[in-house]
Amino acid sequence: MFKFFSSSNIYSVIQKLIKFINSIFFLILIIGLTFALVLSPPDYIQGDSVRIMYVHVPSAWLGLACFSFITLFSIFNFIFKIKNFYFINKSIAPIGLLFTCLAIVTGSLWGQPTWGTWWAWDARLTSMLVLMLFYIFYILVFKLLNKEELIIKVSSIIAIIGSINLPIIKYSVEWWTTLHQPASIKIIGSSSIHSTMLLPLMVMLLVFLLYAALIFLMKYKTEIIRIKKKNIKRI
Amino acid sequence: MITEFISMNGYGLFVWLSFSIVFISCAAFYFKTKKTLRKYEQEFLTELQTLSLEEKNRALKSSKVAQQILATSSKTN
Repeated sequence: MFKFFSSSNIYSVIQKLIKFINSIFFLILIIGLTFALVLSPPDYIQGDSVRIMYVHVPSAWLGLACFSFITLFSIFNFIFKIKNFYFINKSIAPIGLLFTCLAIVTGSLWGQPTWGTWWAWDARLTSMLVLMLFYIFYILVFKLLNKEELIIKVSSIIAIIGSINLPIIKYSVEWWTTLHQPASIKIIGSSSIHSTMLLPLMVMLLVFLLYAALIFLMKYKTEIIRIKKKNIKRI
Repeated sequence: MITEFISMNGYGLFVWLSFSIVFISCAAFYFKTKKTLRKYEQEFLTELQTLSLEEKNRALKSSKVAQQILATSSKTN
């Protein structure tokens, strides 16, 4: 069982997964874009501006999901002291930052025609901005500190403090009066989004997930090579 | 019909700008990640070349990762 998790096995699985994602990615991207830009209907109030949802919502979900994983792996790292979690977190953080920034920018571009403003200091927008700042602090720790043990401690503390912001982002639209609309898609209970819009959203989410997985695998592979390079004389 | 599709009933600027920003950022991030990966692969191979023949053979024999990096680089070169 433990032999399966050796770096050579992980490396070969990563190679195969990268090849697999590369082979299906463009097909799914084209399907997703066709649904999002051509086949899905305009909203009866927002018109065609609703199409921004197909890039904004998956970006925001992935921004949140990446930070949730970082927090979870930081806690695991604190408890079990497994170094792999450190490399996983180091690989996930830039992806999370990218998607959080994209969610803020596309949200702003959606806000202008819908609300008449690019930005408002409302609870959802501000809490997303706070998440972006936590990502920046988290990545800066890896760039600025040298000692690995110190990096693990400081980055874990940032992740655990930052995780307090996650439920704030999720429930901000219910706790406060905000410009941002409440959630249209619910895991438990019925969603208020029509299937003609839900399907393109799910396909675009799959595209974003595949892209995030591809970048993560490439970054994780880089980490494995970096460690092997460091220890080449000891191999 | 094409003009209608591009203008998106007046929302074209916002929709196309959003999709373009996402596409360009993701593409740039992908190529940057790929470049870093290639750089580390090359550095690893350079480091491998500095070893003596005996050390190199031992490294390749005991590390599957080293074998795979060597195989990937010979495929791409």
